Amino acid sequence: MELFAQTLVNGLLQSGLYALVASGLALAVGVVGIVNFAHGEYLMIGAFLAWAGSALLGLDPLLSLPVIAVAVYGVGALTYRVSIRHVLLAPELNQMLLTFGLGILLQNLALMLLGGNTRTVSTPYQASSLQLGELSVGGPKALAFGLAAALLGALYGVLYRTTLGRQMRAVAQNRRGAQLIGINVDRVYLIAFSVSCALAAVAGVLVSVLLFASPTVGLVFALKAFAIIVMAGLGNLTGVLWASVLLGVSEALVQTYVPGGGGWSDAVFFLMIFGTLVLRSFRGAR
Amino acid sequence: MKTFLMTGVLLALSGAGAVKVGVLLPLSGAGSVSGQAARSGYGLALDEINRAGGVLGKPLELEFADDGSAPAKAVPEFVKLVTVEKVDFMAGGVSSATSIAISGPAKQYGTFMAWIGAAAVPVEDAFADHPYFFHYHPWSYYNFEAILGYFRYLKTYKKAKNIAIAYEDGPFGSAGIDATVAAFKKAGFNVVMTEKFKTGSGNFGPLVSKAKAAKPDILYWVGYDTDALPLATEVKQQNLQLGLLYGTPPSWPVGFEKNKLSDNVAGLSLWLSSSPNKESRAFVAAYRKKYGTVTDEYFAPLAYVNLKTLAAAINAAGSTDKARVAAELAKTNVPTPFGPLTFTPSLKTKYQGFKAGNWLHFQYLGDARVPVFPIKFAQQPMVYGR
Repeated sequence: MELFAQTLVNGLLQSGLYALVASGLALAVGVVGIVNFAHGEYLMIGAFLAWAGSALLGLDPLLSLPVIAVAVYGVGALTYRVSIRHVLLAPELNQMLLTFGLGILLQNLALMLLGGNTRTVSTPYQASSLQLGELSVGGPKALAFGLAAALLGALYGVLYRTTLGRQMRAVAQNRRGAQLIGINVDRVYLIAFSVSCALAAVAGVLVSVLLFASPTVGLVFALKAFAIIVMAGLGNLTGVLWASVLLGVSEALVQTYVPGGGGWSDAVFFLMIFGTLVLRSFRGAR
Repeated sequence: MKTFLMTGVLLALSGAGAVKVGVLLPLSGAGSVSGQAARSGYGLALDEINRAGGVLGKPLELEFADDGSAPAKAVPEFVKLVTVEKVDFMAGGVSSATSIAISGPAKQYGTFMAWIGAAAVPVEDAFADHPYFFHYHPWSYYNFEAILGYFRYLKTYKKAKNIAIAYEDGPFGSAGIDATVAAFKKAGFNVVMTEKFKTGSGNFGPLVSKAKAAKPDILYWVGYDTDALPLATEVKQQNLQLGLLYGTPPSWPVGFEKNKLSDNVAGLSLWLSSSPNKESRAFVAAYRKKYGTVTDEYFAPLAYVNLKTLAAAINAAGSTDKARVAAELAKTNVPTPFGPLTFTPSLKTKYQGFKAGNWLHFQYLGDARVPVFPIKFAQQPMVYGR
C-alpha cells in the first residue's frame, strides 16, 4: 500500500513538469495554429540559461527564472518575426518543416557553442523533500507541479478574463473574423507564440535543477508534450493538466508494477496517443 | 618543371597523401562526456605524433565524426568516413549500441578498427570474426570481475548482502544482466531488485521507491552520465538508506564532484588523474599544458594511448597495409597510464587490450574522485553507509 501511494505521488510530481512543457505547446497550437516541433529547443535554451547563470554568475536558477522567461519570450518574438509569421498561411506541411528545421538549427547551434556535454547545476534545495509519514514528496518536483498549476491557472485567467485573452480566443476561432472586427491578429500571434516559448523556458529552468542541461534535453519532454496535447485535445488548455497527470501516473504505475517497466515507460505516451486517436475516431464515426 | 613543382607544393600543403584516421565518437547525446574526453585525448596524441614527424614521413590526419550516441546516426557517419573521406584506419567508438550498428559495414569494407569503447558482449560477438578489430577497453565481463571483487570485499568487511540493480535498457546495461544476477547470487549475495530504466529520462522516482521497499545494502546502477545526478537526487529525496550507491557509467557528468549529492557515490574507472604511475603523470602534465586543465575521464588517456599505439604500428609496418599494421599492432607492449598494454585474445576476439586488473574503484569524497579499492591503491578509507 505504501509503495502504491508513493507511486501515485511520483507520477503526480512528474506530471507537473510535463504540464509546464505541454501548456506552452498547447498555446502555440491552440491560438497560433502551428505545431511547433522546436518547442523542446526553447526548453533547452531555458535550461542552458539557468545553468549559465548558475555556473558563471552564481545565480540560483529559481531566482533567475523570471529573467530567463522574459529573455526567451524575446527569442520567441524574434523567431516569430523572422520565420513563423511567413508560413502561417502556407500549407501545414510547410509549417511543420519550418519548425522541425528550426529545432535542428537550435540544437546544433547549442552543440557548436556549448558542446555535447551534459551540464548540471548545484542548489541547496535540489534533494529537499517533504516527508509525510513514509511518503516522500520531492521539493523541486512539487515546485514544478505548483508552478504548472499556477501558470495554467494564470493562462486560463488571461484567456477568459482579459481583453487580450478574448482576442486570442477570437483569433483561434476565426482568424479572418477577428481581423474584420479590428483585432491585430499579427500582434496576438506574436504574443501567444512568445508566451509559449517562455513557458517552455520556465520548464527548462526546472529541468536544469531536476536533471541537466544538454542540447538534446528538450526532445524527451517535447514528445511527451505532444502526447499530452493530443490527449487533451488540440489547443485545449484546461485539459493539459489532467492529461499530464494521466501520463505521469500511468508511467509511474508501469515503471513500478510492470516487469521490466522502466524500459516500457516511454511507450506509455505512444500508447496514449494511439488510444486517444482511436477513441476520437470511434466517437467521430458515431 | 615549374608547374610540376607548384603541383607538388600544393599537394604537400593540402596534406594529400597524409595518413588519415577516421574517429567516430559520441560528441553529443548520452555518451557525449566520454566522446568529448576522447576527442581531447586524440588531439593531444595527434600533436605529439606530428611533432615527432608524423607517420610514414607524412603528417597524420584525424577526421572526426559525431555518432550522436545513436546507432541510426553512427552508421551513415561511419560509411561516410570509410567511403567518402577514404580514411586508412578507424579509431574511436564509445557506445556498444553504435558499435554493434556499424559492425556490418565494418566487415563489409574490411575496415581496420582500433576501438576504445563498447564493452558489451554483443559487440564482441559482432566483431569475433573480424581480422582487424583491436579492442582496447575491457569487455563487460572483465568490468564485472572487478566489481565483484570489490563487492566481495564489502560483503566480508562491511556485511553487504543485498544488492539492488538498476540498468539502462540498451546493450550497455542489458546485455549481460542475467549473467550479472547469476554471478552475484553465486557469490552469496541476495539480488533484491533488478530494474530497467531509460537512460536520459531522469525519471527515477518509481525505481527508487521499489528499491526502498527492497531494502538493499548496495544500489548498483549501469547507465550513462546523464543518469547520475537524477538518480542521486531521487535516492536522497526518498531517503533511501544505502551502504553504497555504486555506478558504472563510462563517464560522469561534468562538475558532478562539486554537487553535494555526489558525496560518497562510488564508481569504476580505468584511470584517475591521481594515478601515480610515470606514464599517467606524463599524460596529466601534457594534457594540462595543452588544455590548461586536468581530466578524470579515462576516455581521454584511452584515446591518447589508442592513437599513439596505432601510429607506432603504422610506422613499424612501413605502410598503411592493413595486414602489416595489424601484425605490428599485435606486437604492442608499451607502458601506459593504465599499466602495460599488450594484445591477447579475449573469449571471442583475437586482439584484446586492457582486462580486469586495470580497473580502480573510487568514491566522490570532498569534491574529488578518490581511489578506495583495491586497498593497495586506496588514497582514503571508503565511506560505507550514510
